[in-house]
Amino acid sequence: MSRRRGMVFVMVLVGGGLIGLRGSAAEPAAGVAADIARLAAAAPGDDQLALAAAADRLATVAADRIRAPLAALGNATPAGSNWLRSGLDRAAERLGDGLKLDLLAELVADKELTPRGRSLAFGWLEARAPDRAASLLAGMLDEEALDLRRAAVAKLLADAAAGDAAAQLAAHRQALEAARDVDQVEAIATWLTEHGAPTDVAETLGFVRRWLVSDAYDNAGGGGFAQAYPPEQGEAAPGMAAADWKPVVSSHNHGEIDLNAAVATKKGVLAYAHAEVEMPAAGPAEVRIGSPCAVVVWVNGRQVMAHEIYHASEAIDQYVAVAEFRQGANFVLVKCCQNEQTEPWAGEWKFQLRITDPLGKPLATQRTGEPK
Amino acid sequence: MRSMLALAVVIGMVAGPGGLRGEDWPEFRGPGGRGVAAGQAIRSVWSETEGIAWKADLPGRSTSSPIVVGDLVLTTASSGAKQDRLHVIALDRATGRRRWERVYWATGRTLCHSTSAVAAGTPASDGQRIVALFSSCDLFCLDLEGRLLWQRNLAVEHPKSGNDVGMGSSPRIVGDAVVVQIDCQGDAFAAAIDLATGADRWSVTRDPIANWSSPLSVATDTGPAVLMQNGRGLELRRLADGGETWRWAGDCSGIATTAVLEGMFLIPSAGIAAVPVGGREPAWRAAKLAPGIASPVAWDGSIACLNRGGVLVVGDTADGGIRGQLRLAGMFWASPIVVGELLVALNTEGKAFLVTVADKPEIVAENQLPGTFAATPAVADGSLYIRSETALWKVAAPE
Repeated sequence: MSRRRGMVFVMVLVGGGLIGLRGSAAEPAAGVAADIARLAAAAPGDDQLALAAAADRLATVAADRIRAPLAALGNATPAGSNWLRSGLDRAAERLGDGLKLDLLAELVADKELTPRGRSLAFGWLEARAPDRAASLLAGMLDEEALDLRRAAVAKLLADAAAGDAAAQLAAHRQALEAARDVDQVEAIATWLTEHGAPTDVAETLGFVRRWLVSDAYDNAGGGGFAQAYPPEQGEAAPGMAAADWKPVVSSHNHGEIDLNAAVATKKGVLAYAHAEVEMPAAGPAEVRIGSPCAVVVWVNGRQVMAHEIYHASEAIDQYVAVAEFRQGANFVLVKCCQNEQTEPWAGEWKFQLRITDPLGKPLATQRTGEPK
Repeated sequence: MRSMLALAVVIGMVAGPGGLRGEDWPEFRGPGGRGVAAGQAIRSVWSETEGIAWKADLPGRSTSSPIVVGDLVLTTASSGAKQDRLHVIALDRATGRRRWERVYWATGRTLCHSTSAVAAGTPASDGQRIVALFSSCDLFCLDLEGRLLWQRNLAVEHPKSGNDVGMGSSPRIVGDAVVVQIDCQGDAFAAAIDLATGADRWSVTRDPIANWSSPLSVATDTGPAVLMQNGRGLELRRLADGGETWRWAGDCSGIATTAVLEGMFLIPSAGIAAVPVGGREPAWRAAKLAPGIASPVAWDGSIACLNRGGVLVVGDTADGGIRGQLRLAGMFWASPIVVGELLVALNTEGKAFLVTVADKPEIVAENQLPGTFAATPAVADGSLYIRSETALWKVAAPE
């Protein structure tokens, strides 16, 4: 963040923090408000000793004024979040039982606070009164703080474990709707499948499964990564004759497209995959891809991410980028590059991709039938 | 590039402003990163129920080693579904009671292989401050009371830094700076960061290849320097300005860190290549001394390596001659350390082998703790500090 942008940010934050306070007792003194704003806007190159001094002062904040720095987490920079937390955690530690349970419960429920603020307050409450904290989870199945939502889903299932089969089934169906963490979704889907309610994991997680895949292009020495072959020269739909694309439908639980199977088992090559997806509304959405290979992704002809990393692990949602989508049909193009490493673990050439909201809820759908 | 052939070079802690005590174990593999605690003696028998001073359960998971500074034992961990909560934890050295714990949010990538952790790098201390580097490329500096002094979110500053296998290099305090080695396929770099202010002293671009070895502090007669390696070789840089003063090119481990002893770099390179400091050609090579993931340990004219098959090989640093070898059971991610007359090798299943290494290696004891272990033990005042992924034990000093 530039110095000028930082100053504007500070001014907005000071104003926002004060507006968000309820009642004069919660309003921080002018000096404290300035410290909060300074910490929240922390950026590379800032005077760290001055930030540490501001965090020291924040650590002395009174219990009835702790909401303002929690609110400031909503607009804080990455460094700023940690500076604020540094002061806040020390304040909570110092205040001990002076941080009343009712106040903490109120902060956890305060929807004007952002997920990190509520999550932090929940942690302080849980450390002081675990049962009181757990009692709040029942209303958190739609929580934006994903750690709290995860805990709420886990509690829903734990509470249902003592019930009859119908109650457990209902709880798991409700949990599947609420869950966003991939491991939790998979565990619930597995339970449902094993208990007479077959659940498609790939469908639940929203993987794009129907693709058109190109033939192999040269990537000797990694040179193909930056080379614009015909498929990436089109403006919207890829610029290549339709007959040259091979339809591939993934039956993998994680929507993997195995290019060794779909194209050929080769090294030093790359391939393109193209999919048409339907979006319910125009606007931004997250494109989430995982691959052990180097990848480039375009949405409607606009490049949204490029990662030239080979065989350094892979994971669902490994790389995430926000892209603009239009309502209805959208075109996603993936370029997936294989290198020439010879180790046994460097043979994989594949990817999986899904399109979600910021919390991980799938947004894109595909028409049934052969890929278009 | 200046030849250093004539320079007397010794490995060791470069004098800094801090208040380390002789009995501290302040960084990865102890003082100077040597993995040697000369003159100490540890008890020969322990278990979950015997010889334990205390056990502390820890949050999340970790593969980093504990360090011992004054009356504190410090360790790191990460927690949360995405392992994006970064913990720095201070335990009371005498009781194991938690003195303080600080949690921060990761600002970089937190994916890693199941055998590693976001808390993989071992923290370091100069006796006044603690620096902790996580796989997310977040570097935090705190005082001994848990007050955050400065932070560097290196993946924010270098957006393509990081490695989804997990970064494992530990920070190294050299003089009044901390050196970090951020080797990866993206934005690879190394930097010396002022301990007092958190500002860069220097930063240099490195080869864009993954690497998990840690920098070493080296005292030369021209001032403190830092030794860094990757799969393509070694380089020595001045602490003052980052200028390169020596380079050795050759196949090199990207995990096991070079040992330095008596003017010789003992480089994990298809076995061990013993290259005189400032030299180019190895004085000797020993293929049988083949460290796997664990770093070699060198002391008093000896070197010991644990290979990927769990075979401990002990040799002479004068010529690479093999004195003996011994098959230990299991896999080893923790590096062996030498305490007095014993070598301690801890396998991933929590079995610690105590091996006499003065002559031909022989097992004298095997002690078991429960859990999964990847961290190199720490030792201070005859007590061992052994960390599993989720707990830390203090093995009491012998009575």
